[in-house]
Amino acid sequence: MLKRHFPIFLVLALVMLALLLPFLLPWSYDQIDWEAVRAPAFSGSHIFGTDEIGRDRLARLAAGTRITLMVAIAAALVSLIVGIAWGATAGWIGGRVDEAMMRIVDGLYALPFMFIVILLMVVFGRSILLVFVGIGLVEWLTMARVVRGQVIALKQRPFILAAEAAGTPSVAIMWRHILPNIAGVALAYLMLTVPQVVMVESFLSFLGLGVQEPLTSLGILVKEGADDMDMTPLGLALPGGLLVMILVCLTIEGERLRDRFS
Amino acid sequence: MSLYEIRNMAIEIAGDRLIEEVGLTVEAGQCTAIIGASGSGKSLTCLTPFGLTPGAVSGSMLLDGVDLGSDGSVQIRDVRRRLAGFIFQQPLTALTPHLAVGVQLQEATMQAGAARPSRLELARKLERVGLSRADERLDQFPHRLSGGERQRVMIAAAIAHSPKLLVADEPTSALDASLRSEIMALLDELRAEQGLGLLLVSHDIASIEGHADQLVVMEKGRVVESGAASTVIAGPAEDYTRRLIAAAPRLQDPAPMLSRPGEPLLETRNLGVSFDRSGWRRGKIKALADASIMLHECESLAIVGGSGSGKSTLGRAIAGIGPVTEGEILWEGVTLPERRKRDLAMRRLIQPVFQDPVASLDPHWQVRDIVSEPLHNLRPDLTPAECARMVRKVLSDVDLAEDFLTRVPASLSGGQAQRVAIARAIIASPRLLVLDEATSALDPLVGAEILKLLLRLQGENGLSLLFITHDIAAARRLCHRVAVMEAGQIVETGEMQAVINHPRHPATQKLIAAS
Repeated sequence: MLKRHFPIFLVLALVMLALLLPFLLPWSYDQIDWEAVRAPAFSGSHIFGTDEIGRDRLARLAAGTRITLMVAIAAALVSLIVGIAWGATAGWIGGRVDEAMMRIVDGLYALPFMFIVILLMVVFGRSILLVFVGIGLVEWLTMARVVRGQVIALKQRPFILAAEAAGTPSVAIMWRHILPNIAGVALAYLMLTVPQVVMVESFLSFLGLGVQEPLTSLGILVKEGADDMDMTPLGLALPGGLLVMILVCLTIEGERLRDRFS
Repeated sequence: MSLYEIRNMAIEIAGDRLIEEVGLTVEAGQCTAIIGASGSGKSLTCLTPFGLTPGAVSGSMLLDGVDLGSDGSVQIRDVRRRLAGFIFQQPLTALTPHLAVGVQLQEATMQAGAARPSRLELARKLERVGLSRADERLDQFPHRLSGGERQRVMIAAAIAHSPKLLVADEPTSALDASLRSEIMALLDELRAEQGLGLLLVSHDIASIEGHADQLVVMEKGRVVESGAASTVIAGPAEDYTRRLIAAAPRLQDPAPMLSRPGEPLLETRNLGVSFDRSGWRRGKIKALADASIMLHECESLAIVGGSGSGKSTLGRAIAGIGPVTEGEILWEGVTLPERRKRDLAMRRLIQPVFQDPVASLDPHWQVRDIVSEPLHNLRPDLTPAECARMVRKVLSDVDLAEDFLTRVPASLSGGQAQRVAIARAIIASPRLLVLDEATSALDPLVGAEILKLLLRLQGENGLSLLFITHDIAAARRLCHRVAVMEAGQIVETGEMQAVINHPRHPATQKLIAAS
């Protein structure tokens, strides 16, 4: 178990670490140590040193991981709920309703989403809420398509027809027969959505459109590190490495789940 | 010397000995059939010597003087390439979906080192297996062909490199009855013409009768009886063979004892069903037109027809789980409304049973919940304790022990799953069961038991049955009357025996000739 699912345990360990570190470290992520600006690694209480204005790098790394994963999980949950509701409704009702609902999905797919998020940010100013909205707006589309396909396939299965003949009302068929049977596939796609969202959030932050200072995310840390990489390569290597590790682990597990259910 | 001879063969998979002491021979130009219930090891026996299963094989297997057991995957591959051809059960999955028929056939021809065949030669190969418009077919993809046509392409590909032995693993069980006899006749012809030896696997003794020269009966990985086909079928020595032969329904069997029908119960008047074409496209597809049937209390009516004849559509319309576009359904003279408008009292009257027993049970539910589902909706007057008692009773009615209550569908065999499905259908004491190919997916032994169970339930509870099937011989065991369908129309109705003795419509004649 531990060996086979090593990636997911690694991510869980990192999350635990990110949650616990604020209680263990003497420094918070926005606290400036005036004595130790640009301190190298292992100097005093700063294990990975400090950044160019003297904030503890490890504390900022933990804060960045928390924010990134929070955005990712929130957006993935939004996509799960909206996607399942939309896809299941379209698939269950079928016919013209299904056609219309799925064309809306196609239309949204066609929009240059990154461009729209950037516009939103510019017009309404930077806020973490907008990041949620922007990302949530796109990520449910794939989920809706997958769920709709599953529901249509299930709808024709004899056990659904038998439930109808047994007098089970439509809503109960949906809750008790259809949703439990698509849960596996939905979960697999949820696992694949999380790394996608991490990626998008980091990209927005890297462009300076994500969360606000002094809050931070992995994307911001990578950007700051990149600006300063000729002086302290550690500033880029740490958040960059962490980001890659999380993305790879989540993707591996997601693909594995998807292979199992489809 | 025989073309193919197996002596004392044993097969192991992962340390389990699945096949023991099997011996058989195939002569050039003749057909040897292996029959047995599912799980008896017939497919393993014919495929493993050619390295087509993960099993490890021991014993002596001589094909045209080449010892298959001697060793070396190189040799086996060489034998597969030159001497043997294979046909499998599922014609759709056995053809590569992304290659046109011509390309597949060309590949099959060239595998033994032959030169690239010309288009004319390929077309001739397709004509040889009885496909019309052969030249056009070469460019078609497998999904464009019907099941019977695909199986013909499979046969063309299997004999393209002129093998000496053709191994056919249930070549007709996925096809409907009239196609079955056509494919068997084609295999007979090829044998006679090219001196091909045929090793045929089947679970259905009726389908190989008159085609096989030698018969090998297998049970649980052993040969229980073998010999000339006509002698074995006429005078089986073993009890197991006798049961297999008795299980296969035949039109010549003595007339069954049936219950006495009562008052008219259900009537359909000019029932029609048409489906919208998918998407925004205009137009309709007519699946059923002008269907009028009458069913009496305690009576069984067979709806017989080939695939796509609209028989399932009719059954679903009656059971209230499919659409109705025109006409009406009357229950004791009162109109039953369409699908969504049926109330619970109407639902309780009619219950369906489906073809695929495993797919008709929700994989996440326990047998207890599956069986009691209709009770929760249709009998709200019952207390939970009464429900539990009824579930127990109905399980014993379908001959399942009490420990099945907590099983999940994945742990049931096909026959057990179908019993659970029947238990669910009868628990709310309906008056009519719609059986949509309820025995076709089952082993013949199990199917015969399910038929017996249905007869018994009809006798005990006075149930009426609507038995939808493609197999008129199976329907004869259960049904008083028959309605024959073709292309969405009912073409002939009448008393079962009268229709069998004097079929008037060509579709009926074809169905009867096939069984």
